[in-house]
Amino acid sequence: MRESVIEQLEQDEEAEINLTPMLDVVFIMLIFFIVTAVFVKEPGVEISRPEAVTAFVPEKGSIFIAVTAANEIWVDNRSVGTEGIRGAIERLHAENPEGGVVIQADREAANEFVINVMDAAKAAGVNEVTIAAAAP
Amino acid sequence: MRKHIANLKSEEDENEINLTPMLDVVFIMLIFFIVTASFIRESGLDVNRPDQDQAQVVQEEGAILVVIDSTDDIWIDNRIVDVRAVRANVERLHAEDPERPVVVQAAKASSAELLVSVMDAARQADIYDISIAAGD
Repeated sequence: MRESVIEQLEQDEEAEINLTPMLDVVFIMLIFFIVTAVFVKEPGVEISRPEAVTAFVPEKGSIFIAVTAANEIWVDNRSVGTEGIRGAIERLHAENPEGGVVIQADREAANEFVINVMDAAKAAGVNEVTIAAAAP
Repeated sequence: MRKHIANLKSEEDENEINLTPMLDVVFIMLIFFIVTASFIRESGLDVNRPDQDQAQVVQEEGAILVVIDSTDDIWIDNRIVDVRAVRANVERLHAEDPERPVVVQAAKASSAELLVSVMDAARQADIYDISIAAGD
Protein backbone atom coordinates (compact mmCIF):
# COMPACT_ATOMS: atom_id res chain seq x y z
CA MET A 1 0.00 0.00 0.00
CA ARG A 2 2.71 2.41 0.97
CA GLU A 3 4.72 1.54 -2.12
CA SER A 4 1.82 2.23 -4.38
CA VAL A 5 1.36 5.69 -2.85
CA ILE A 6 5.02 6.51 -3.44
CA GLU A 7 4.74 5.29 -7.01
CA GLN A 8 1.68 7.44 -7.48
CA LEU A 9 3.58 10.48 -6.23
CA GLU A 10 6.56 9.79 -8.47
CA GLN A 11 4.31 9.44 -11.50
CA ASP A 12 2.66 12.74 -10.71
CA GLU A 13 6.01 14.45 -10.64
CA GLU A 14 7.06 12.94 -13.93
CA ALA A 15 3.83 13.91 -15.62
CA GLU A 16 4.65 17.62 -15.24
CA ILE A 17 6.98 18.51 -18.10
CA ASN A 18 9.76 20.95 -17.37
CA LEU A 19 9.27 23.78 -19.87
CA THR A 20 12.36 25.80 -18.96
CA PRO A 21 14.83 24.40 -21.56
CA MET A 22 12.27 24.76 -24.34
CA LEU A 23 11.59 28.34 -23.27
CA ASP A 24 15.33 29.06 -23.36
CA VAL A 25 15.61 27.71 -26.89
CA VAL A 26 12.52 29.57 -28.06
CA PHE A 27 13.76 32.86 -26.61
CA ILE A 28 17.16 32.45 -28.21
CA MET A 29 15.53 31.75 -31.58
CA LEU A 30 13.27 34.77 -31.09
CA ILE A 31 16.21 37.04 -30.32
CA PHE A 32 18.13 35.65 -33.31
CA PHE A 33 15.29 36.34 -35.71
CA ILE A 34 14.67 39.82 -34.28
CA VAL A 35 18.34 40.72 -34.64
CA THR A 36 18.74 39.33 -38.15
CA ALA A 37 15.42 40.70 -39.40
CA VAL A 38 16.23 43.08 -42.24
CA PHE A 39 13.03 44.52 -43.43
CA VAL A 40 13.58 44.60 -47.17
CA LYS A 41 11.53 47.24 -48.90
CA GLU A 42 10.52 46.09 -52.30
CA PRO A 43 9.86 48.60 -55.07
CA GLY A 44 6.30 47.41 -55.53
CA VAL A 45 6.24 47.01 -59.29
CA GLU A 46 6.66 43.90 -61.35
CA ILE A 47 9.24 44.09 -64.11
CA SER A 48 10.43 41.57 -66.66
CA ARG A 49 14.07 40.97 -65.96
CA PRO A 50 16.64 40.62 -68.69
CA GLU A 51 18.40 37.27 -68.81
CA ALA A 52 22.07 36.71 -68.11
CA VAL A 53 23.92 33.40 -67.99
CA THR A 54 26.51 34.66 -65.52
CA ALA A 55 23.99 36.09 -63.04
CA PHE A 56 24.85 35.41 -59.41
CA VAL A 57 23.16 36.16 -56.12
CA PRO A 58 24.87 39.09 -54.38
CA GLU A 59 25.51 38.70 -50.66
CA LYS A 60 24.21 42.04 -49.56
CA GLY A 61 21.46 43.54 -51.60
CA SER A 62 18.66 45.15 -49.74
CA ILE A 63 17.94 48.47 -51.42
CA PHE A 64 15.76 47.58 -54.36
CA ILE A 65 15.08 50.16 -57.06
CA ALA A 66 12.94 49.34 -60.05
CA VAL A 67 13.02 51.05 -63.43
CA THR A 68 9.88 50.16 -65.34
CA ALA A 69 9.35 49.88 -69.08
CA ALA A 70 7.72 53.33 -68.97
CA ASN A 71 10.96 54.66 -67.40
CA GLU A 72 9.38 55.32 -64.03
CA ILE A 73 11.63 54.76 -61.04
CA TRP A 74 10.06 52.98 -58.08
CA VAL A 75 11.48 52.74 -54.58
CA ASP A 76 9.63 51.37 -51.56
CA ASN A 77 6.21 51.22 -53.22
CA ARG A 78 6.43 54.79 -54.45
CA SER A 79 7.27 56.26 -57.82
CA VAL A 80 10.07 58.78 -57.40
CA GLY A 81 11.37 61.13 -60.02
CA THR A 82 14.96 61.31 -61.19
CA GLU A 83 15.66 63.93 -58.52
CA GLY A 84 14.12 61.87 -55.74
CA ILE A 85 16.25 58.75 -56.15
CA ARG A 86 19.28 60.00 -54.28
CA GLY A 87 17.24 61.01 -51.24
CA ALA A 88 15.42 57.69 -51.23
CA ILE A 89 18.66 55.71 -51.47
CA GLU A 90 20.25 57.80 -48.73
CA ARG A 91 17.29 57.15 -46.44
CA LEU A 92 17.33 53.38 -47.05
CA HIS A 93 21.12 53.32 -46.77
CA ALA A 94 20.92 55.00 -43.37
CA GLU A 95 18.43 52.35 -42.22
CA ASN A 96 20.61 49.51 -43.43
CA PRO A 97 24.22 50.61 -44.01
CA GLU A 98 25.33 47.10 -44.97
CA GLY A 99 23.01 46.70 -47.93
CA GLY A 100 23.88 47.28 -51.53
CA VAL A 101 21.69 48.69 -54.26
CA VAL A 102 19.96 46.30 -56.65
CA ILE A 103 18.58 47.94 -59.78
CA GLN A 104 15.67 46.01 -61.20
CA ALA A 105 15.59 47.36 -64.72
CA ASP A 106 12.92 46.26 -67.14
CA ARG A 107 14.04 44.91 -70.50
CA GLU A 108 12.54 47.94 -72.20
CA ALA A 109 13.85 50.53 -69.73
CA ALA A 110 16.10 53.21 -71.18
CA ASN A 111 19.69 53.12 -70.03
CA GLU A 112 19.60 56.85 -69.29
CA PHE A 113 17.49 56.13 -66.21
CA VAL A 114 19.44 53.02 -65.25
CA ILE A 115 22.68 55.02 -65.31
CA ASN A 116 20.96 57.83 -63.39
CA VAL A 117 20.16 55.35 -60.63
CA MET A 118 23.78 54.11 -60.62
CA ASP A 119 25.02 57.68 -60.26
CA ALA A 120 22.52 58.39 -57.50
CA ALA A 121 23.69 55.28 -55.64
CA LYS A 122 27.29 56.39 -55.97
CA ALA A 123 26.39 59.88 -54.82
CA ALA A 124 24.57 58.42 -51.81
CA GLY A 125 27.72 56.53 -50.88
CA VAL A 126 26.68 53.00 -51.86
CA ASN A 127 29.44 51.23 -53.73
CA GLU A 128 27.85 47.83 -54.25
CA VAL A 129 25.50 48.27 -57.17
CA THR A 130 23.98 45.29 -58.91
CA ILE A 131 21.74 45.14 -61.93
CA ALA A 132 19.13 42.44 -61.61
CA ALA A 133 19.06 39.68 -64.17
CA ALA A 134 17.38 36.32 -64.24
CA ALA A 135 19.37 33.21 -64.97
CA PRO A 136 17.79 31.58 -68.04
CA MET B 1 -7.92 26.33 11.33
CA ARG B 2 -9.70 24.99 8.31
CA LYS B 3 -9.89 28.49 6.82
CA HIS B 4 -6.22 28.91 7.35
CA ILE B 5 -5.48 25.74 5.40
CA ALA B 6 -7.74 26.88 2.57
CA ASN B 7 -5.92 30.21 2.46
CA LEU B 8 -2.59 28.48 2.26
CA LYS B 9 -3.78 26.29 -0.59
CA SER B 10 -5.05 29.20 -2.64
CA GLU B 11 -1.85 31.14 -2.05
CA GLU B 12 0.15 28.21 -3.28
CA ASP B 13 -2.00 28.07 -6.38
CA GLU B 14 -1.35 31.74 -7.08
CA ASN B 15 2.35 31.33 -6.56
CA GLU B 16 2.63 29.11 -9.61
CA ILE B 17 2.63 31.46 -12.59
CA ASN B 18 0.68 30.28 -15.59
CA LEU B 19 3.17 30.37 -18.46
CA THR B 20 0.76 29.43 -21.22
CA PRO B 21 -0.25 32.95 -22.40
CA MET B 22 3.38 34.10 -22.43
CA LEU B 23 4.32 31.03 -24.42
CA ASP B 24 1.55 31.80 -26.89
CA VAL B 25 2.82 35.33 -27.38
CA VAL B 26 6.44 34.23 -27.70
CA PHE B 27 5.54 31.60 -30.27
CA ILE B 28 3.48 34.04 -32.30
CA MET B 29 6.38 36.54 -32.28
CA LEU B 30 8.76 33.77 -33.28
CA ILE B 31 6.57 32.73 -36.19
CA PHE B 32 6.17 36.38 -37.24
CA PHE B 33 9.91 36.97 -37.34
CA ILE B 34 10.60 33.70 -39.11
CA VAL B 35 8.03 34.56 -41.77
CA THR B 36 9.14 38.17 -42.25
CA ALA B 37 12.81 37.20 -42.35
CA SER B 38 12.27 36.60 -46.04
CA PHE B 39 15.74 36.40 -47.39
CA ILE B 40 14.97 37.96 -50.74
CA ARG B 41 17.27 36.52 -53.32
CA GLU B 42 17.63 38.63 -56.41
CA SER B 43 20.24 37.45 -58.84
CA GLY B 44 22.11 39.93 -60.97
CA LEU B 45 25.38 41.31 -62.29
CA ASP B 46 27.56 43.72 -60.37
CA VAL B 47 28.08 47.09 -61.88
CA ASN B 48 31.12 49.30 -61.95
CA ARG B 49 30.21 52.90 -62.64
CA PRO B 50 33.35 55.02 -62.54
CA ASP B 51 33.49 58.75 -61.98
CA GLN B 52 33.78 60.96 -64.99
CA ASP B 53 37.58 61.33 -64.76
CA GLN B 54 38.10 57.64 -64.20
CA ALA B 55 36.08 56.78 -67.29
CA GLN B 56 38.28 59.01 -69.40
CA VAL B 57 41.45 57.50 -67.95
CA VAL B 58 40.22 54.02 -68.76
CA GLN B 59 39.38 55.01 -72.29
CA GLU B 60 42.76 56.60 -72.82
CA GLU B 61 44.47 53.44 -71.70
CA GLY B 62 42.69 51.56 -74.43
CA ALA B 63 39.81 49.61 -73.03
CA ILE B 64 37.65 47.34 -75.12
CA LEU B 65 34.91 49.79 -75.98
CA VAL B 66 31.46 48.41 -76.70
CA VAL B 67 29.02 51.09 -77.79
CA ILE B 68 25.26 50.64 -77.66
CA ASP B 69 23.66 53.38 -79.74
CA SER B 70 20.20 54.83 -79.44
CA THR B 71 18.81 52.49 -82.11
CA ASP B 72 19.95 49.48 -80.06
CA ASP B 73 22.82 48.58 -82.37
CA ILE B 74 26.06 47.35 -80.81
CA TRP B 75 29.32 48.73 -82.14
CA ILE B 76 32.72 47.16 -81.52
CA ASP B 77 35.76 48.43 -83.45
CA ASN B 78 33.63 50.60 -85.72
CA ARG B 79 31.51 47.67 -86.82
CA ILE B 80 27.94 46.79 -86.00
CA VAL B 81 27.89 43.48 -84.17
CA ASP B 82 24.97 41.23 -83.39
CA VAL B 83 24.18 40.60 -79.70
CA ARG B 84 25.15 36.95 -80.06
CA ALA B 85 28.51 37.88 -81.58
CA VAL B 86 29.53 40.24 -78.79
CA ARG B 87 31.08 37.44 -76.75
CA ALA B 88 33.29 36.23 -79.61
CA ASN B 89 34.42 39.76 -80.45
CA VAL B 90 35.18 40.63 -76.85
CA GLU B 91 37.01 37.33 -76.41
CA ARG B 92 39.15 38.05 -79.48
CA LEU B 93 40.06 41.55 -78.27
CA HIS B 94 40.69 40.17 -74.80
CA ALA B 95 43.07 37.54 -76.20
CA GLU B 96 45.05 40.24 -78.00
CA ASP B 97 45.66 42.09 -74.77
CA PRO B 98 44.36 40.42 -71.60
CA GLU B 99 44.95 43.55 -69.54
CA ARG B 100 42.25 45.56 -71.25
CA PRO B 101 39.06 46.16 -69.31
CA VAL B 102 35.67 46.43 -70.99
CA VAL B 103 33.84 49.73 -71.15
CA VAL B 104 30.21 49.64 -72.19
CA GLN B 105 29.01 52.98 -73.47
CA ALA B 106 25.25 52.92 -73.44
CA ALA B 107 23.18 55.56 -75.22
CA LYS B 108 20.42 57.21 -73.24
CA ALA B 109 17.64 55.65 -75.28
CA SER B 110 19.10 52.15 -75.50
CA SER B 111 17.34 49.36 -73.65
CA ALA B 112 18.51 47.84 -70.38
CA GLU B 113 18.19 44.36 -71.86
CA LEU B 114 21.04 45.06 -74.28
CA LEU B 115 23.20 46.51 -71.53
CA VAL B 116 22.74 43.35 -69.47
CA SER B 117 23.35 41.16 -72.53
CA VAL B 118 26.63 42.93 -73.31
CA MET B 119 27.77 42.73 -69.68
CA ASP B 120 26.82 39.07 -69.64
CA ALA B 121 28.78 38.44 -72.84
CA ALA B 122 31.86 40.12 -71.39
CA ARG B 123 31.56 38.07 -68.22
CA GLN B 124 31.23 34.92 -70.28
CA ALA B 125 34.49 35.93 -71.97
CA ASP B 126 36.04 35.92 -68.47
CA ILE B 127 36.31 39.68 -68.16
CA TYR B 128 34.87 40.90 -64.90
CA ASP B 129 36.29 44.42 -65.05
CA ILE B 130 33.35 46.04 -66.79
CA SER B 131 32.65 49.75 -66.53
CA ILE B 132 29.57 51.52 -67.70
CA ALA B 133 29.72 54.90 -69.37
CA ALA B 134 26.88 57.08 -70.51
CA GLY B 135 26.68 57.84 -74.19
CA ASP B 136 24.49 60.34 -75.94
